[in-house]
Amino acid sequence: MPTAESVYRQEFPVKGGDFAKAGAVACRIKELLKDLGLDTAIVRRAAIAAYEAEMNVIMYAREGRMDLAVSAQEVHITVDDQGPGIADVELAMTEGFSTATPEMRELGFGAGMGLPNIKRNSDVFYIDSRTGHGTRLKIIIRTNGHGTT
Amino acid sequence: MKEKSFHAIHITKDKCIGCVHCMSACPTKAIRVKDGKALIIDELCIDCGECLRVCPYEAVHSHTTSFAALDAFAYKVAIPSTVLYGQFGGTTLPNEILSALRRCGFDEVYDLSSICELNNAATDEYLNEHPRPRPFITPTCPVVVRLIQRRYPSLCGQILPIEPPREIAAKILRTILPKALNLPPEKIGIIHITPCPAKMVSINSPATLTKSYIDGAMSIRDIYPQILNALRKGEEDALMRHLFPETQFSGIGMGWSLSGGETRGVKNHRAVAVSGVVDTMRVLDQVEEGLLQDIDLLECAVCPDGCVGGPLEVENRFLAKSRILQLVDAAGERAVVDPKDVSRLYHKNFLSFDHPVAPIESRPLDRDRALAIRKAKRREKLFADLPRKDCGICGAPDCQTLADDIVRGLAVLDDCPFVKKEKR
Repeated sequence: MPTAESVYRQEFPVKGGDFAKAGAVACRIKELLKDLGLDTAIVRRAAIAAYEAEMNVIMYAREGRMDLAVSAQEVHITVDDQGPGIADVELAMTEGFSTATPEMRELGFGAGMGLPNIKRNSDVFYIDSRTGHGTRLKIIIRTNGHGTT
Repeated sequence: MKEKSFHAIHITKDKCIGCVHCMSACPTKAIRVKDGKALIIDELCIDCGECLRVCPYEAVHSHTTSFAALDAFAYKVAIPSTVLYGQFGGTTLPNEILSALRRCGFDEVYDLSSICELNNAATDEYLNEHPRPRPFITPTCPVVVRLIQRRYPSLCGQILPIEPPREIAAKILRTILPKALNLPPEKIGIIHITPCPAKMVSINSPATLTKSYIDGAMSIRDIYPQILNALRKGEEDALMRHLFPETQFSGIGMGWSLSGGETRGVKNHRAVAVSGVVDTMRVLDQVEEGLLQDIDLLECAVCPDGCVGGPLEVENRFLAKSRILQLVDAAGERAVVDPKDVSRLYHKNFLSFDHPVAPIESRPLDRDRALAIRKAKRREKLFADLPRKDCGICGAPDCQTLADDIVRGLAVLDDCPFVKKEKR
């Protein structure tokens, strides 16, 4: 990320268990990226990744935070949560693996596609998790260098 | 690059008193009040007609085809929306309504329920042949198409590329009538009878056709008195018609104007129906975020309860809906279209779009990314200082929009009466 001057930052709190607001942050992020003039395809990838990340916080964590930072070249979405953490990150990254409860599955969640889907829509993806402490995701999507700075 | 797009909704300045009804009702925040008059921002308006519904002063005018315009044609054909069948109480039959409509000055009138059934069969076939992407979104409501072009450009490729029944019907008539009547095509006028002004948009600037096959759309509200009159005068042939079963009407197509009606006839696929402009936007947001991929077909109609809730209707939509449901019940699953015919038309691409729906360029804060970032930051700061009362006195629908207008150079901070007061 370049200097603070040329970066747009916005912070969004996410409350665990708040299914009524599911997708609200992803939606805000999407609107902001459209206002910043990012390509349609980039906005869509960011929207999908942001939605999946937001849902992970809502489903598993007590609370969390999503930070958006946009420069002319990159979109960064950092997600921090205070949740149970992921015991086996490699396993969690496997398509179809999920620890969702039957209740969550009834709501249509927990297909085990969340993290793999985030990764698929990111150019760079980091995950750092400690059992009992929480999880941090970092999503980077390049904007194809259309910017001027 | 920036062509002025056609709109079916306009503000009549003389009647507008500059209140905030339309501005607060607008789902895309396309209306501002400047110098005491409402004005519509072209690039944001999707012609949904919400402003038309709420204006207490009849200052929102919808541009539809007038009776006088019919004089340009030697042979006049009406293809009414099936909504029309719900407009004349609980006993008037579609046959009577069509024959009354014919007596209002049309040479011929055609029912659309059969074409709706045809469209369903083609949709089934298309979905079978195209397992991805999911969901496909129905293109019947022109507002939904424009909404997607403007606000959800990434979903343009998910619009089901089968023309809606009104265009298919007109195309069939355009193919057949000139030869049958021995008239030049331009002398034949094909007029849709519509519950909403948005059909004028798809006729005048079609998103999927080189040229629309329809010549105009006449408002149900405008033609209602004439039909009612003709119905009264035609009481005797109305009696006659009770002797004949209405076998020409499709049970599968009859309910198309109700939310869920478009997808009822799509048998082998999972479909979801959404109606109302706010709910439609909510669901399209979800589709853009990658949801609903287990749904094959998503029916969206921006009017409440579907086309039956159109702003140019006469009967209240609950009564109209109840009447249409009665007709659907009576017709049952009656099919009037030969699936082989549909398949043949489908494979000849007779039912397809001329070209895919193209996104309409959105409205970034600035074309220069660095400047856009700067403006977004400034907008954030401005918004933090605004009172968040969303009173509309500044001429923008809410504080967020005022902040947006300011950074775009369309408004100034002093437009806010609260900020002004503090300064004094």
